[in-house]
Amino acid sequence: MIDIQNLSFGYKRKRLLYKNLTLKLEAGSIYGLLGKNGAGKSTLLKNFIGLLFPKDGKIAVNGFEPKKRWPSFLETIYFIPEEVYVPALTVEGYKNLFSPFYPAFNEKQFYSYLDQLDVKDKGKLNGLSFGQQKKFIIAFALACNTQVLLLDEPTNGLDIPSKIKFRKLIASIFTDDKIIFISTHQIRDLDNLIDRVIIVDNGELLLNASVEDISEKLCFKTVSKLSNPDEILYSEDSLKGFSIVTKNTNAEESKVNLEHLFNAITEKPILAKAIFQN
Amino acid sequence: MQLRKSQSLQKPFFKIKTSIMNNTFNAKRFGFLFKKTLLEKPTQMFGFTGLIFLFILILYYLMKTFASFQAAQNISFLWGLVGGDFILTSFMFGYFSSTASGSFYLTLPVSNFEKWLSSFVIAGILYPLIFMAFYRIMDAGFVAAYHNSLDPNAPFYKIRYDSVYLLSFNDRLPRIVYPMFLVFSGIMLIGSLYFNKVALVKVALAICVLFLSIYGLNYMFASLMFKNIDDAFPFQHVAILVGKEVGSVELPKKVHDPIWYFINFGLPVVLWGVAFIRLREKEF
Repeated sequence: MIDIQNLSFGYKRKRLLYKNLTLKLEAGSIYGLLGKNGAGKSTLLKNFIGLLFPKDGKIAVNGFEPKKRWPSFLETIYFIPEEVYVPALTVEGYKNLFSPFYPAFNEKQFYSYLDQLDVKDKGKLNGLSFGQQKKFIIAFALACNTQVLLLDEPTNGLDIPSKIKFRKLIASIFTDDKIIFISTHQIRDLDNLIDRVIIVDNGELLLNASVEDISEKLCFKTVSKLSNPDEILYSEDSLKGFSIVTKNTNAEESKVNLEHLFNAITEKPILAKAIFQN
Repeated sequence: MQLRKSQSLQKPFFKIKTSIMNNTFNAKRFGFLFKKTLLEKPTQMFGFTGLIFLFILILYYLMKTFASFQAAQNISFLWGLVGGDFILTSFMFGYFSSTASGSFYLTLPVSNFEKWLSSFVIAGILYPLIFMAFYRIMDAGFVAAYHNSLDPNAPFYKIRYDSVYLLSFNDRLPRIVYPMFLVFSGIMLIGSLYFNKVALVKVALAICVLFLSIYGLNYMFASLMFKNIDDAFPFQHVAILVGKEVGSVELPKKVHDPIWYFINFGLPVVLWGVAFIRLREKEF
């Protein structure tokens, strides 16, 4: 579990990126963190793993204080940054040098994930393309079987088939004792994968809700004419009229469109908060 | 359609030990880290060591050919130990040159103390030992070659033979160099935690600026107190010209000794200690 209480963080004390952020992330969910560029998505992830320290407030990850970077904490969490690092080692060499640090590492799973992600064992890892390197690190991270997995823009650099394989793999390895936290601005890559959506903007938590809850409270549909503009959180022109996000007053069933959801929440945060508080 | 989650088929998680001791030092984990540090970048680690040894070999040869044996021995020992170790230390925390490698290094499940200790063992113990072994072989080779090149029947054979001998590791110069290499590597270690990019160059420049500033300040204060200064070296002496002779004003023993002990023993400990604290507090 990740427990954040009154977190304040900023690269400069006078310009805080997060002010008094309180958030609780329970195991058993795949979280999607959405935010604009510079909203502090990577910063939040770095606070979770202890690469950055809160200016105020507390973070506890599985009961550990990330700031201390204790090995017993780091064994239970894996962070894949947007840019990955691979040394000039072979797949075997990398596995031999790095897997001993992760007690729950499973070699069989590692090779299976490499296979599923179509990572070819062609000499040194640093000679692979960026996408291949990223898939290699994803396979290694998943095989480490850590309780918490933090992924920062994991699909950047992956081709379309790889993105699909990535989504399938994440879904297949997920178990109820894990937290997978994915930060991205490529919202469509998270479609059908995440359980819960977190949206941050201007240092504020605008939304933390399950996909079920969102589809219950909001309606995503296409209409030919705009009516009741006060109830519309977001609208955009589409071929058949307007794609809109409205309050789901008639208990309509609709598929959550993450892109529209994000625009709706960031454009009308007060209205969105009011809807989700009830 | 929502992708389905699988049931938990994996092994139960490793039982987490949370004792402070285990989170500070664990011999097995340290062994893994040490192995990783040596084998992760073998070209950099061993290639560099080979290069520095080659450089020292050439330097020794050139100095003995164009200057003297003593100069060759002193300069190659100084540069090999202080210079070589300085560069090697820059590799220890060289991960911070990129976001990817820096994040990877800091989030590796190893304690900050173990990361620091691994650097200390390599830069503070292993490299000096290997270098001194190499130096002894190189020095012995050159000295033996020189002795063999002498004609036992030539005049002054004995004097010429005795004029060249192995550098003793207990000589005055090595005794100055030992703390010096720890001081410089300590500065490098701290510097590579402050300067993420091109730390080696930045730290080298910072040392030059610091040294020139201290030297200049020292010279300025000495000039205010004495006339006809020939030379003034910080924390050591002020040389004064008296007629054609040079006299040296040295620190009184009760001031000199604490400073000497601090520079030789205290400063390396302080610098390496600061490097550990800085690593623990490092944000990236």
